[in-house]
This record gives sequence, C-alpha cells and structure tokens, in this order.
Amino acid sequence: MTDQLTRRQLLERAAVGGAAISFPGILAACGGSSSKSSSSSSSQKLAKTLHFSNWTYYIDTNDKTHRHPSLDSFKQKTGVTVDYTEDINDNASFFGKIQAQLRRGQSIGRDIIVMTDNSRYPSLLVRKKWVEKLDKSAIPNIKNLVPVQQHPAWDPDREYSLPWQSGITGIAFNDKLSDPVLSMDDLLGNPKLKGKITLLNEMGDCLSLVMLSNGDDPAKVTDATFDRAMATIKKAVDSGQVRAFTGNDYGPPLAKGDLSAAMSWSGDIPQLGNKHIHWNLPKDGGDTWTDNMLIPTGGDVYTASVYMNYVYDPKVMGLMEAGDPKRNITGIYYIPPVDGAKAAALAINPEVANNPLIFPTPEMLDNVHLFDPEALNNPKYLTEWQNLISA
Amino acid sequence: MGFFHRHRGLTPYLLLAPGLLWLGTFFLVPLGFLGYQSLQSGSIDFGYAFTWSWGNYWHAIRDYHGHFIRSFEYAAIATLIALVVSYPVAYWIAFHGGRWKNLLLLGIVAPFFVTYLIRTLAWETILADHGLVVNTLRHLHLLGVLGTNGRILNTATAVVAGITYNFLPFMALPLYVSLEQIDARLIEAAEDLYASRVQAFLRVTFPLSLPGVVAGTLITFIPAAGDFINAQLLGSPQNHMIGNVIQSKFLELTDYPAAAAMSIVLMASIVIMVLIYARAVGTEKLTG
Amino acid sequence: MSAVAVRAGRPRRSVLATVWAFVKRYALAVYSLLFFAYLMLPIAIVIVFSFNNPTGRFNYVWQGFTLDNWRYWDGVPGIRSALVLSLEVALIASVIATALGTMIALALVRYRFHGRGTTNILIFLPLSTPEIVLGASLLTLFLNLSFVTFGFYTILVAHVMFCISFAVITVKARLVGFDRHLEEAAMDLGANEWATFRKVTLPLIAPAIIASLLLCFAISIDDFVVTYFNAGTEVTFPLFVWGAARVGAPAQVNVIGTAIFMVALVLMLANVLIQWRREEAAA
Repeated sequence: MTDQLTRRQLLERAAVGGAAISFPGILAACGGSSSKSSSSSSSQKLAKTLHFSNWTYYIDTNDKTHRHPSLDSFKQKTGVTVDYTEDINDNASFFGKIQAQLRRGQSIGRDIIVMTDNSRYPSLLVRKKWVEKLDKSAIPNIKNLVPVQQHPAWDPDREYSLPWQSGITGIAFNDKLSDPVLSMDDLLGNPKLKGKITLLNEMGDCLSLVMLSNGDDPAKVTDATFDRAMATIKKAVDSGQVRAFTGNDYGPPLAKGDLSAAMSWSGDIPQLGNKHIHWNLPKDGGDTWTDNMLIPTGGDVYTASVYMNYVYDPKVMGLMEAGDPKRNITGIYYIPPVDGAKAAALAINPEVANNPLIFPTPEMLDNVHLFDPEALNNPKYLTEWQNLISA
Repeated sequence: MGFFHRHRGLTPYLLLAPGLLWLGTFFLVPLGFLGYQSLQSGSIDFGYAFTWSWGNYWHAIRDYHGHFIRSFEYAAIATLIALVVSYPVAYWIAFHGGRWKNLLLLGIVAPFFVTYLIRTLAWETILADHGLVVNTLRHLHLLGVLGTNGRILNTATAVVAGITYNFLPFMALPLYVSLEQIDARLIEAAEDLYASRVQAFLRVTFPLSLPGVVAGTLITFIPAAGDFINAQLLGSPQNHMIGNVIQSKFLELTDYPAAAAMSIVLMASIVIMVLIYARAVGTEKLTG
Repeated sequence: MSAVAVRAGRPRRSVLATVWAFVKRYALAVYSLLFFAYLMLPIAIVIVFSFNNPTGRFNYVWQGFTLDNWRYWDGVPGIRSALVLSLEVALIASVIATALGTMIALALVRYRFHGRGTTNILIFLPLSTPEIVLGASLLTLFLNLSFVTFGFYTILVAHVMFCISFAVITVKARLVGFDRHLEEAAMDLGANEWATFRKVTLPLIAPAIIASLLLCFAISIDDFVVTYFNAGTEVTFPLFVWGAARVGAPAQVNVIGTAIFMVALVLMLANVLIQWRREEAAA
C-alpha cells in the first residue's frame, strides 16, 4: 500500500543520508550555540527527536489519550520522536518569546514552527534569515503542493517554508443565544450582541473583514481605508459591543456561553464539536490565510524536511484532516495544501470530506481575500492596531 | 579561622558580598539598562540605537496616561476594599484567636498555595455569565450596579475583584502582625477609663495598628498597580492596565524603547506616590 | 471580654435582644468565617473541577466524576516537563537564595558596618518594585548581553534575585530575637567561631532557615510575570497554565494545582502542630 511506499522512500533516504558524510549539523540541532548553524544540505542524518511548535488543536488528536496518531506513525516509520508543543496562541506573542534568541542567531530549541502569512512574521523571519532553507532533496512530496500555494510573494520559490494548513476567517455564533450573525455589520452593530462578541487580535484577519464590510479592498490598504476600518472597530469597542480581542482563546467563552458570537477561524468550529455553534463566511466576504511551517535558526533541517515530506503524502494529510470519530480522533478540519488529500479523507470520514469548511466550495473561494502584505509591515499601522486592542 | 580573626572587620562585608552582588547585578544593573534602553530609538527590523530619545517618555505619558490612571485607580480601589475586608478578620485572629492563631493564619494563607493563574481562572468560572453568582445578583437586582451589560466577567468589576482577592494576604498579614503586638492591657486601661468598646477601638487599637495598615496598603498597592494578569483574564480591552501595554510592547511589538520608558514612568510614579503617602502618615509609622 | 450582664429577678429577655446579643458577641467570628469561605471558594472550584469528566476540551461545566485526571495527570503533553522544570528551579533557587539571604541577615544583625542603611534599602527595593518592572528590566539586561541564552539559567537567576529579599527578612526576624548569651557561653567553653556557628547558632536559627527555604520555594514555584519575560521557549508550570488557559485549561491543570496546594497545606499544618507541641511542652 502507499504506507509501505512511504516507509520505503524514507528508509531509502535515511540509508543514503547515513552513507553520506554527516556534518555536525546535529550540533546545530542541539541548540544553544551562539553561531549560526551549518548549512542544511551537508547533514542528512535523522535526529532522534523533532521539536515541533504549533498552534493548539492543529493536528489530529485522540481525545481520550491526547496522543497524535500521525506523529505516532511518523515515529514508527522513521524512529524519530516528535516533541510536539502547542505553544502558539497568536503570532505576535509567540514571536515575542523567540525573537530575543533569533536576533542573536541562537537556536530556540525548535526544528519546526508554524506562523501565519497574514501577519508580518513569516516575511520578517525570511528577510532577516532567521530561518533555515529546506532540504528539498528530502521532500519529493513537494510536488503535491497545490498550485495556488507554490509561489507566495514572501517566499517565491518555497525555499524556507511549506504550508501547513490554510483557513478562512469568518463569524461563529451560538444559535442558543442569538439569531444567525451573518455579516460584520450585524456583529459590530447589533445591540442584542452588546458585550457578547469578540474580534480577533490579528490585524490581518480583523481589518480584512471590516474593510470588506466598509466596501474597501483589503488587498490594497491605504491610509484612508485603514483609518476607516479602525474607526469602525473603535466605535464598537468604545460602545462596549466588543468584549475582548482574542487569539485562539475565544473557544472557551464561546463554549461557555459567555459569548454569543465571535470572529473566528473556520476550522475551530468543527473542532468544538458543539452542535449549536455555527460558522459562516460574512456576507461581504472573509479572508484567507495560510499557516506555514518554518525551520528556525538552529533547527535540524534534514529531520524537519523529512517530516514535511511525510505530511505531504496525500494519504497522511487526508488522515490528519479527517480524524476518525469511531476511534475518538479529532482531525484538523482546516484546509490542507496537499493535492489528493480530499480523496484520501473521503475514504476515511466521508462526512468531513464533504464539509465545506474543510474543502471549500468554489463560491466560497471567490468570496475570500488576501490581506495586503505591505500593510502588515507598516509600523504606524502596527502601533495603532496594538493601541486599539489594548484600548 | 585565623583569616577571619585577623580580618574581623572584613567579615560583614564578606557575608554581604555574594548576596548583594547578585542583587546588584540582577536588580540594579537591569534597571540601569532599562533606563538606557528607554532613551534608545529604533525597531527590530533596523536595530536600536542610543539617541537620547527623551521623546519616549513624553509618548509614554501622552499616549497611555489613561492606562496609568486606570491602573492606579484599580489598585487603589482593590487596596481599600482589601483593607476594609481583612481588618476585622485580622483583629479577630489577633484578639480572639487564642491557641488557634496559627491555624487561622494558615487559613488565610493556604488558598494562595494554589498557583496565581489557576486561582484567577477559577474566578472566570465563578463569574461566568450564566453562573450562579451572576444569576443570583441578577435576581437581587444588583447586577445593574455591579456589572456592565448584564455581566460581571470582562468588566472593571471583575478585574478589581480579582486583584482584591489575589492580594488579600498581603494586606491581612501585616495587619495581623501589628494588631497582635498591641498589648491588650492598653485596651483594658481605656475601658477602665470609661471608654466604650467603639471608642477604645478608635482611639487606642486602630492608631496602634497604623504601622500594619501602612505596610499592608503599600505591599498591596505596589504590585497591584503593575499587574496585568487579572486584566488579561478577567477584563476587556477597556480595562487593560499599564502592565498589559508594557507586556505587549516588550514581547509582541518589540518596541523596547517605548516599553522601557513606560516601565520607568510606572516605577517613578509609584515612588512619588509612596513618598507622598509616607509623608502624609508620618514616617515613624512606616518603620513602626 | 465582658459577659452580658445578667440581672437577677428579671424576666427572660426578649428573643430579639438575645439574638442581638448573640450577633454582637459572635459577629466578628461569623464574619471571619464568611471571609474564609470567600477565600476558599475559588480553591474549591479548582479542586472540584479536577475530578470533572468533560466531554470535549472545555472544563467549565460539571459533567461527571472521574479519577482519570488524577490517574493520568501527565496525560497532557508538556505538563510533566513544565512541572519538573518548576520544581527544579524552585528547589535550586530557594537553596541559593536562602544561603545568600542568611549571610546577609547575619551581617545586618551581628555586625556594624558602613552602608547598613543602603543595604537595607537594596534589600527592600525588589519587594517594592512591581513584578513587571523586575521582569522587563531583567529581559533588557539579557537582551543586551549577547552571550546569554534564554532558558533554565535565566529563569534561575531571576528567581534567586527576587527570593533573596524574602530570605533576608525571614532569617533576620529570627536573628533579631536571638539570645547571644548562648553563643558567648559556647565560646567561653572553648569553641572557636566556626564551631560555635555550626553547633549553636545554626541549629537555633534552623527554623528560620527552613521557613525561608519553604517561602522561597513557594514564591518561586508560583512566579509567572518575571518568568514570562525571561524564559525564552522554556515552559514552567505557571507558563503552561497561561498558555493552556487560552484554549481551555485541561483538568490536569487543576489536578496539579490541587496537588501543590495539598502538599503545601500538609507541610504548613505539620509546622503548626509542631509549634503547638512546643508551646504545650513549654507550658
């Protein structure tokens, strides 16, 4: 079966790597060195552990045992244990944790981190060379990358990154507490929702949706459209409409009933598993973003690349996406960047494969937009945004 | 030992050296760096440079004076409530505790063995919009007074309540210590002189407990003013304190100069307030 | 406390008066008990929800009793290493801080030297600085020293720093009330300074040293703000709770919180009991 093929591929690679001259690239993987790590292609030896930092609930999880089946089978195939930490709640605060060490060219003790392209961080990391180049020779499955993701502006040849998942930002609401909330105007203006809604603290997400509801184009941000959007949001904050700005943490209050509605990411809602919580694309459009795997300075490039190759196998990606309700496994439920994943997922969990949130319909894809990457790097905008979310 | 005999005068300095060196290096020097950083300008993309950028201080005050004032407000209210709420208990334990004193003190301190964050998260559960507390208040028609928009969570009330709760032992313990030291015979003497219980309290007990009051208010107010956890977990953006801003400027925006300037303004304000307070109550009470 | 006056020959007082007298007499006690209840309320929630059996990831509504969370306390990835790190740091930091603090306390109480006032101020300052300033300034220091790696050692350094003051105060309190005559007697009997210190002084201030160790341990294991600024990517238990809270803290967080609470409670109760015994023995 395909499993055997993948295993054989990886074993071949490992054999080739073992026979090749191995550098102390392992030294780089250990971290703590104050010099930049050696270049990626010189070491093709698998490390014993892969340190992977990711967002919460962003991988297939067995709800009872808290284990991750895809990681367990990675270990079976390659012998590499994945030390998986879910310590990313939002891009800014995670960056805050790691930037001091990266600035000095020190390793942060991670081989793979995941950051969103509608924040300034992936482009910042690539620009400042705080990430390593991928070892593409270890990633033949890169051919499965969906065409639309192959040449992003900030990493045109995918030398430093590979998408993990994509998602759409929209509005979630609790049908026990509120009528359907289908537009940003409703979310921000409906007095019945006063104090019971949250917005996302990511500038890219929040401003996109608000700009679209103002009739402006988020792909081309100008001072005028920025100010207009900020004014709309500020009005809602000052009036007490907005209860808080959140990262991933809108989940608990939404589940608790403290919130009636929230600006939220598409995949979170199927994961909540609460039949009363629904997610929609806002009437005026939503935005789409992609979370990318990056190898920070000092990360073990070869092992990380081997892992990336593993998840780019459509069967593996399909499994991770779909989960398996019979075995209590919750899937990722976001949008996979791998061709063929949908077919694989269909085989395992048909219900999930036909969920438009995970495999969006063409109509939905027409109505989502990308946020202007220039605006993400504008210090004036960033400071004003930070002031807004800290009132 | 001969070394120590011959250098008897050195002994205190040798004893002091390691500890003071540690404090000097990791407390004083960092404050110096903070000051140095506060006069820099720049960004993470292009680096920081020392430019005597006094503007950072001006910006800190101009842009965030609201946060500063709010922080001091919340801290002051929390301190006052803590004082009023814990004084009777401290009194009770000191004068009526008897052999149970230590146990009762343990009762005050014990809850705070649970991690600060976990305690605060418990308040998130307790004050939930559809929880028992909020529902009860709603029935008693108190929700309008205490809450905003029919809720307690994510309002100033919740933040102040959280701060008050989390700093209660800082208030209660100093109060207890100074109350416990009051000689009960003084009170008896006052009563022998025909003072009523209330008068005896107001004119003998309370004044004698002032050192504890001063100590308690100080060690409650100062950390409370810089807190950001309660505001983050229990508040909304309108309740954010200066601590939240400093935290985000340092770690998320990486705007170190601005953040450093804000921290120094915070410290300076606290020092000024403490000095005014000490002058007002008289410094003898401070050292009690 | 004066008893309510009883006048012989009078009929029984009205019920209201009796109740009022009762209230006046016990008001303080009742109030205090309510106060303790208020203090324990969040703790009770924490403990109760550690036994909750939530479906899905949120631990807010009671859904059923289970011991699984306790049995599989390290079932949540990362919680064990966070706890271990916290314990390690707390242990080492409390030892170092107590050692340094004891030395300072000895110097302050026993000797005359220049700069005593300054020393007192230096000890007092960290206690009166908001934690955010402590954490942020230390971060600034480390950022400007390029050889520093954020992680275990930066956390340790920070924890020792803010524990020293507590150690000094704790030990100093005991030293101040110390009877020097015992030491003088030992030295009259021929012991040199070091032997006196080891065999007389140290055992007598041992309670204070133990108290300081415990206090520093408790403070260190609970610290969030200063650690948050200086931990880099390392995760202590409070940092873990902060991260987990964002997405719904699993019940295991309550389990560990309860466990730490229980251990501390037992230790403090033991301390109280020992002191009771001592008092009764002395009486």
